[in-house]
Amino acid sequence: MHVRDLTISYGDAPVLEGASLDVDKGRFVSLVGPSGSGKSSLLRAIIGLQKPLSGNVETGLARSQVGILFQDDALLPWRTARDNVALGLGFHGMHRREALQEAESWLDRLGLAGFGDRFPRHLSGGQRKRVALAQVLALRPKLLLMDEPFASLDAIVRARVVQDLVDLVEREGITVLLVTHDLNEALTLSDVVYLLSHGPRARIMQQYSVPIPRPRDLVRARTHPAFGPLYERLWSDLSREVGRENPAEAA
Amino acid sequence: MALDPKRAWIRQWLTFVVVLLLWEAAGRANLLNPLFAPSPSEIALALFGLFSSGNIWTHLEATFTAALGGLVLGIAAGIALGVVAALVPLIAELLQPVMTLLNAIPRVILAPLFAIWLGIGIASKVALAFILVAVLMFFTVFTGIRQVDRKLVERVVTLGGDRWALVRHVYLPSVAASIMGHLKVAVGFAFTGAIVGEFVAASRGLGYLISFAQSTYNAALMLALVMLIMAVVLLIFAASGRLEKYLMRWN
Repeated sequence: MHVRDLTISYGDAPVLEGASLDVDKGRFVSLVGPSGSGKSSLLRAIIGLQKPLSGNVETGLARSQVGILFQDDALLPWRTARDNVALGLGFHGMHRREALQEAESWLDRLGLAGFGDRFPRHLSGGQRKRVALAQVLALRPKLLLMDEPFASLDAIVRARVVQDLVDLVEREGITVLLVTHDLNEALTLSDVVYLLSHGPRARIMQQYSVPIPRPRDLVRARTHPAFGPLYERLWSDLSREVGRENPAEAA
Repeated sequence: MALDPKRAWIRQWLTFVVVLLLWEAAGRANLLNPLFAPSPSEIALALFGLFSSGNIWTHLEATFTAALGGLVLGIAAGIALGVVAALVPLIAELLQPVMTLLNAIPRVILAPLFAIWLGIGIASKVALAFILVAVLMFFTVFTGIRQVDRKLVERVVTLGGDRWALVRHVYLPSVAASIMGHLKVAVGFAFTGAIVGEFVAASRGLGYLISFAQSTYNAALMLALVMLIMAVVLLIFAASGRLEKYLMRWN
């Protein structure tokens, strides 16, 4: 996937200006940056929820092959977990019975066997996140966009959901573009990390390659010799960026 | 002393019975003027009389027909107008001030006007029940649609849902939820409209009977009718409560 010279504006000064980035097939790529740097807008532009002012996005994929996971689960509260997962399958013409079977097998795969009849209200935060994941993955996306999807989960649940996701993504060869605030998460998950500058008029500042081999165990990834130095570099670059716009915080 | 909330109904019924007994005793001891405050047994007798003579049925029928007619028409019109206003900005612009005004006034003051326009038959009662319910439903649906969760809309769109999918999976269920939340109020409004309409000018109906009881200074009959109306509305509340519980089982 290629993003070329993308500028996004909501009326005033553009939040994001002239952003270009490449995501190779099967790679896990993260976008990190200060709040308001247009990371979410970039994802929204890629999937077509936000019309860019200029520039273009080339995914080389059909619209249905791109999935997006938001920070909120946004499950339909009046549908059971199984019905929620089957929803997108139905939109793409799968018959209901078949869609429900497929949904069940995805729930199963994400560790939610037996929870298909529950309404979202009667699921925990981690379970809802897994349902939302199943909902997106059931459509077999080639490219998965994620906008801080795990921010609302507590640390232990988060670690487990994320590890399951990584295993799945590695096995299925899905390309991922993740937006996150969490440098730790960015480095343990990604092959490539992009750093954005402070908005408005945010730009892509830096690109870092993460040479930790796959398949990855997220706990062990942190003990890889490349992790520490990369983390420090990313951290000091990000701090400098935040401090440049906000001297009080740098002091 | 700590009150067990599960036993509240026992205390409530006990108190109710005690009050009735005290009231009855005061009546028998000639402490109350039977003309103004008939004892419970006299009210029960009046109630019994209504049913044993068979007179009551025609009045019940008239009130029910007017109330349910106004309720159904009012809900239908309220939903239709609410949907149109939510979808077409021009309609919203034109309708909103009228509805706001109608909402601000006590709409029962229209009863004499409807009696002049539509006569003392059932039409004027249906019209009053209708206008009470329709305005309520208009606002319920109008705000219901406007407050539909944007995240759910985006979720369905990114899963590949078209406009029809949005209506079916997001808009209809959200609006149904807000209608359900106001159904009991609408039932109450419908009976208020029918009875007040009959009160003003009619030859049949519970409202007519009440005004008859007033003109003949028959407090026992009037209280009997109040009890009857309460029983009727409670019955309908129970029915709509069950419907609500079934349709909102996800909540």
